[in-house]
Amino acid sequence: MLNYRDLDWRIISAALLLSMIGILLIMSAQHYADSAYSQSFYLRQSLWLLIALVAFAVVIHLPLRLFDVSAYLFFGITLSLLVLVLLIGSSRMGATRWFSFGPINLAPSDVAKLAVVLALSRFFAYTKLPPASKRRLAFTAILTLIPVMLILKQPDLGTSLVFWIILFALWFWSGLSPVYLILILSPLVSLVAASHWLAWVLYFAVLLSFLFLSRPGMLFSVLVVVTNLAFGVITPYIWNRMADYQKLRMLTFLDPGRDPRGAGYQIIQSKIAIGSGGVWGKGLLSGSQTHLDFLPERHTDFIFSVLGEEFGLWGSLLVIMLFGLIFYRAIRIATRCRSRFASNVVVGAAAVLLFQFFVNIGMTLGFMPVTGLALPFLSYGGTSLVLTWTLIGLIVSADYRWQEY
Amino acid sequence: MPQSTLSLKYRQATVLFIVLGLLLVILGGLVKLQILNYRELAEQSENNRIRVQPLVAGRGVVYDREGRIIIDNRPSFTVSVVASEAVRDTTISNLAALIGLDTSVVQKRLRKNLVNRYQPAPIMRDVPFEIVAVIEEQAGRFPGVSIQMEEVRRYTPGLGSECFTGHVGEVSKEERRREGAVGYRLGSIIGKKGLEKHHDALLRGREGTAYIEVTASGQSRGPYEGKAPTPAVAGADLVLTIDNDLQRECVAALGEYCCGAIVAMDPRSGEILAMTSYPGFDANIFSTVIPESLWQSIMQDTTHPLLNRPISGLYPPASTTKLLTIGAALEEGMISANTALKPCYGGYQFGNRYFRCWLPGGHGSLNAVGAIEQSCDVYLYQVGLKLGIDLLSQYFDKCGFGHVTGVALPGEEDGLNPNSEYYDKRYGKKKWSRGLVLNNAIGQGEILVTPLQLAQFFCGLVNDGIVYRPRLIKSIQFPEGQQVIPSRQTVRKLPFSSGTLELLLEALRLVVEGEHGTARGLKNNLYSLGGKTGTAENPHGDNHSLFVGVAPMERPEIVVCAVVENAGHGSEVAAPIVKRIIDIYMTKKLSLESVADLSHAEGD
Repeated sequence: MLNYRDLDWRIISAALLLSMIGILLIMSAQHYADSAYSQSFYLRQSLWLLIALVAFAVVIHLPLRLFDVSAYLFFGITLSLLVLVLLIGSSRMGATRWFSFGPINLAPSDVAKLAVVLALSRFFAYTKLPPASKRRLAFTAILTLIPVMLILKQPDLGTSLVFWIILFALWFWSGLSPVYLILILSPLVSLVAASHWLAWVLYFAVLLSFLFLSRPGMLFSVLVVVTNLAFGVITPYIWNRMADYQKLRMLTFLDPGRDPRGAGYQIIQSKIAIGSGGVWGKGLLSGSQTHLDFLPERHTDFIFSVLGEEFGLWGSLLVIMLFGLIFYRAIRIATRCRSRFASNVVVGAAAVLLFQFFVNIGMTLGFMPVTGLALPFLSYGGTSLVLTWTLIGLIVSADYRWQEY
Repeated sequence: MPQSTLSLKYRQATVLFIVLGLLLVILGGLVKLQILNYRELAEQSENNRIRVQPLVAGRGVVYDREGRIIIDNRPSFTVSVVASEAVRDTTISNLAALIGLDTSVVQKRLRKNLVNRYQPAPIMRDVPFEIVAVIEEQAGRFPGVSIQMEEVRRYTPGLGSECFTGHVGEVSKEERRREGAVGYRLGSIIGKKGLEKHHDALLRGREGTAYIEVTASGQSRGPYEGKAPTPAVAGADLVLTIDNDLQRECVAALGEYCCGAIVAMDPRSGEILAMTSYPGFDANIFSTVIPESLWQSIMQDTTHPLLNRPISGLYPPASTTKLLTIGAALEEGMISANTALKPCYGGYQFGNRYFRCWLPGGHGSLNAVGAIEQSCDVYLYQVGLKLGIDLLSQYFDKCGFGHVTGVALPGEEDGLNPNSEYYDKRYGKKKWSRGLVLNNAIGQGEILVTPLQLAQFFCGLVNDGIVYRPRLIKSIQFPEGQQVIPSRQTVRKLPFSSGTLELLLEALRLVVEGEHGTARGLKNNLYSLGGKTGTAENPHGDNHSLFVGVAPMERPEIVVCAVVENAGHGSEVAAPIVKRIIDIYMTKKLSLESVADLSHAEGD
């Protein structure tokens, strides 16, 4: 039986506090909503929190080995769910992301995050291939690419990025040198640098000298050079040939929820909301941006803006510190775990939370694009909350069983 | 190829470093927005939610001298459509059917008046109450249709007062750009003509401001508590010098003819008692949207209803200014009261031209007073020759002709008072005959005056030569309770000695009461009436009929000038009209006096 005293209560209390702050903010966000249904969102979220806590309790009671051995099976089931949602899922705002069971919507892409964390963790835990071997890199990339493709088809660009982050985190954690990570990411830099030919030429010179110094292998080097050329020369060439409406269509395809009212309306309103909160905030239920409907998606994607407006800098700092505590503890746990699978799972879970945390808050502050990624614990959404608590459960479980191999 | 596994310590440190870095980036973003940009963003958040809504001030009411309404305001209903709430097809087609317009017309108006999808766009102004009732009762059939109440200017019908009231309308772009145009916004009501224009600042009051909290979709959430509204200040009420009874009589009297103008003034103060331009128009049509067909019919009307005849209608004064000619000659010592010039045998030979007198048989030998009484042209021709063009013109000038009277109304005309300079310019030096003075002496030729100028001149004649500025405002009542009573303003003294004036007054009396007076038909037992007839030759048609009447002659209180276009002899048309107006005035005065006498007697 579990000895509750040995659980990492710091993580659990931080997670619980964040979830309760989330419920409070959802209540505030929808307090003056038109329909009683919207006003009751916080009650539904409370109910979801109970379900999430049950999931958490189940996860910490189960042996970690069970997740280990069933990781690939779970991955397979999740893939079939992702295929299924494309066939029979319900559509909202041009995207097919949910299974609808009456009032409950299940997003299998949330489940897929967990599945990818477990599958990759298992693979990296037992593979005999050296960290930078081509087969190892290629296999894990393909394993990640399958759910990404299915999710891009929904389409949902933001969520599909989460999977790459899991892969990158685990590549690094299982020993891949940052040199490789930098080189793998270099095509993206090439794309940005391609905005001016001189910048791109300079960048390319730096890239070549970097390759020459680090000598990552002939095939890998050629691959890097070719992809960099492709991203830096061909993509801008095609992009410039496209008509404006085609570009817009492309962007809309990548992100359907993108700016429906134009001119970065959502971001502007979110920045006004957070900034006008000042140091002390306007007080619970007193945020004019929130309550006069200026803030879009205020109970889901922009919940942090409600926090910033009503509780100001101190409230935001409190939430950030609670997240910081969770990340800090997760890193410590991952370091001391003796089981490589457990260690990988903690890093993968933390990477999911950290990425969503940063991208979501970055979006509300105006320096990240609008992606539709939820803020863990705080954003309204049942599956998201259950997933978050499952990830926390895995982290706590890994900590509790740190001595197991 | 470096294949060595990195140490756990190194990886842990790297990850911690990345997490710390990301947290610091977020912290930086928060500090930037919530501390550095706080003021700016807080202000934007306030601006976001507050809409400034104008509170329209009630426009001042205009009364006649006895407190009867000339202009007031009535509530009216405007039907609007809020585009964001309208249901495709249902709203527009149901509304179009109800207000009797084509669907396409309603759609066109919606597009034209759309400010944004959340604000009502007016479709039809001044909608009858029955339609409003239908919309209110069957709201379900008209989603997105809203009713606004507005005040609309109402001009009391039948007064023929539009020549001085003017009218209002929506402020134009040019008017808003004009210097000193403060407080007007798109859609503001502004005085366009008449006293509505001249006293716009007094009448309009001051618009207030309400601060409304709105949602992102523009829906009102009620008053904003952070900022108290500035209440609107109603406009000042005006009490005019006008007497509605006289106004109505003017319209009735002119109603039998095509066109004309009447001005009634109190010579003791310059107060305008009545003023009308006939035919007039209904000033109410400008308060709401004028139908195109109505506007076309007004513009194409050959009787020119929009011409403001009393102040901008130009007429030859004809025989009415014979007093001026005689007076000038008396002042200059060229004739005396008893001077008999060459007798009138129906005309006068000057050079190779024969100038007729209006009476073909002639008047025989007359003195100065007799010449006025019988309006003998031949006597006046001779007086004119004695004076010469420039001296006569100087007297016209000193009597106010050729200048605006300065009445507080826009659009007043100067009239025309020709002198040799004018003729030089018009015909060339030495290219005109000295004989033109003969025409000028009898108020014909190029001389043009407005009915108001003529009335003002006669007011001076019967007021010991003192001429006041004609005025319309008896008092201004400010909403705070203050009252301002403008005082009379002397503009000039007529260039006649008291002896001359006495003589001219006697002549005025004889025109009505004399044995040979041209208006002897007006003689009555009730009060003593004086006046001067005029028959203006009109090259475009029948003669204009003029008469300026004065009563009571012992101590004149009212001067009435009537000009009736194309109506014939002054004595036949204008004179009886003037008497009708003066009758009303005198009956009122005498009955008031008898009531006063009665109560006095009872008191004894």
